[in-house]
Amino acid sequence: MDMRTYLPRFAAIALAGASLLAVTAAEAKEITIWCWDPNFNVAIMKEAGARYTKTHPDVTFNIVDFAKADVEQKLQTGLSSGTADALPDIVLIEDYGAQKYLQSFPGAFAPLSGTVDYSGFAPYKVELMTLDGQVYGMPFDSGVTGLYYRKDYLEQAGFKPEDMQGITWDRFIEIGKQVEAKTGKKMMGLDPTDAGLVRIIMQSAGQWYFDKEGKANITGNAALKASLETINKIMAANIYKPAAGWSDWVGTFTSGDVATVITGVWITGTVKAQPDQSGKWGVAPIPALSIDGATHASNLGGSSWYVLEGSAEKAEAIDFLNEVYAKDVDFYQTILTDRGAVGSLLAARGGAAYGEADAFFGGEKVWQNFSDWLAKVPSVNYGVFTNEADTAVTAQLPALQQGTPVDDILKAIDAEVSAQVQ
Amino acid sequence: MALARRGGIGRYYNVNGWLFVAPALGLIALFMIYPIVWSLWMSFQSGRGMMLKFAGFANIVRLWNDPVFIKALTNTLTYFVVQVPIMILLALILASLLNNPKLVGRGFFRTAIFLPCVTSLVAYSVLFKGMFALDGIVNSTLEAIGLIASPIPWLTHPFWAKTLVIIAITWRWTGYNMIFYLAAMQNIDKSIYEVARIDGVPAWARFTHITIPLLKPVILFTTIISTIGTIQLFDEVYNLTEGKGGPSNATLTLSLYIYNLTFRFMPNFGYAATVSYVIVVLVALLACLQFFAARERDR
Repeated sequence: MDMRTYLPRFAAIALAGASLLAVTAAEAKEITIWCWDPNFNVAIMKEAGARYTKTHPDVTFNIVDFAKADVEQKLQTGLSSGTADALPDIVLIEDYGAQKYLQSFPGAFAPLSGTVDYSGFAPYKVELMTLDGQVYGMPFDSGVTGLYYRKDYLEQAGFKPEDMQGITWDRFIEIGKQVEAKTGKKMMGLDPTDAGLVRIIMQSAGQWYFDKEGKANITGNAALKASLETINKIMAANIYKPAAGWSDWVGTFTSGDVATVITGVWITGTVKAQPDQSGKWGVAPIPALSIDGATHASNLGGSSWYVLEGSAEKAEAIDFLNEVYAKDVDFYQTILTDRGAVGSLLAARGGAAYGEADAFFGGEKVWQNFSDWLAKVPSVNYGVFTNEADTAVTAQLPALQQGTPVDDILKAIDAEVSAQVQ
Repeated sequence: MALARRGGIGRYYNVNGWLFVAPALGLIALFMIYPIVWSLWMSFQSGRGMMLKFAGFANIVRLWNDPVFIKALTNTLTYFVVQVPIMILLALILASLLNNPKLVGRGFFRTAIFLPCVTSLVAYSVLFKGMFALDGIVNSTLEAIGLIASPIPWLTHPFWAKTLVIIAITWRWTGYNMIFYLAAMQNIDKSIYEVARIDGVPAWARFTHITIPLLKPVILFTTIISTIGTIQLFDEVYNLTEGKGGPSNATLTLSLYIYNLTFRFMPNFGYAATVSYVIVVLVALLACLQFFAARERDR
């Protein structure tokens, strides 16, 4: 056992190991941001970045565009693995998921309480990102909902814009039948794997999958029941074009196949991305249920920016968000006009753009309307299990379509949610 | 004596030998044994995200009361029971046809049938999604030749979505299995077939009484590989259904459920680990069963 015989071998192995471990240094002062939707969040972040770079030329931005599900899953994977290298400096998180990330990955996000003046933002938004007295994240857009409709199709079917104001869901379905009879167009696109519409209708009547204490609220939830009954009626009346997945659903209205879109205000950028449809669209408040607490206002999604605690550019990232999103009122006017982003910075509401008419919507003052509806959105507790409840609802939509009684559907949803929520 | 020493216990003291296998052993320990042991430990814990704490058998109890898990398990077993036999039989028939030396262009056919399994999983899923869309090429073709009156909702109806997944994996993996059978068939002595032909054994009987028995070890091998593949099915379903296993959880598999538990829902690594051990147990049981069914009886 002569050590000299083995020494060269150890040396060779060590050398091979060292070359494997060689790492490259990170680029300085580049802020990496993950978000989704090229017509909305990505475009808005580019605008924000351009504004910040004017005063801070040393900071550059790398805005990465993923699908929303991919951002969420990549974030969750990165956080679970515990390696900060795999994560961006700033990430966009939809409001439904905020508490989930904050509670299950303590210490992963940078608290901004000391830096950002949160009193300037809509309180519901700040509440969403508060945990144990610390506020995380930069409040961004609201998901206030509206009923976008094709004026030209409805006119052909004999309806005026006034006929779309303040209607009930039953009236909406009635109009849908006539639109199809007169124009051959379906009233709306519907993706049976997405429970977004159920959520919109449910929240418009002031309820959620969970009560204020965060307990499951399914079988006794009148708004959820009415919401499912409404979907059932829409399916029975066959006034919808089925869509498989998000991009398919977007295609139903960008291609001009359907007469209306009911969703969050953030879709405006996508609607406006079709310049040949300019002047043909109008916006009305969403239809209301005929139950107690029913309103014409609701919310779908809405999201906020979060800075990762382990980010190498943490200080720059926080300063950037604070400078632009918490202070620059003019920025909010630009993104409203260009992208339809209704921000949650209250001071921005006083800006000029909110009172302006939009040519794409035939000169209507749509932003004023959205701003009014926003104030009327019933507040609910999203809890931390919205994804699970949503999956349980979509699992039952085909059964609903096949005529299973709504009470049985609710029981099945309740069983699934109870099993998942622990 | 010297030979016996070198071949026997002496090997254990050979430092060179250990040095040669050390990197591989190290990697196996780090990337296989450690995760296996750690995930077993994790399956006894429960909690949200990084806040795991010991929970005993709570996760196993939870399995029985979880309708989504039951659904994923039934789906996975349905895929297995329906798809694997179809694929094995189809691969056998195709291999036997393409083994015919008189067939013109068999090189082309062999390649064409084998090609699907070297395509990218994502690319082919996306392609299938387009082809089987409501107004996609499959529906319009079926309508044009008068097989169906209205388009089949491949992606939005629970039954058809499951069928689509089965079609997709059959398309992709049949050629893969066929190649094994082709290789094995070429090793069967041709004189056996000659004798059978002289004795007047018809083609079908030659296939069932000569080819299949002689291919038995290969069939066992492909069945086990396919079983493992099907029980672990993930990519096709993930890409065809945008990661949801929809509609109505009809295409959800155990692997996709594990993924959802870890990356889409409130992360519960403990419970996800428990579900993954269900797959381990399932694969082990099925493989044992298959070995048992294919054991040599004529001793």
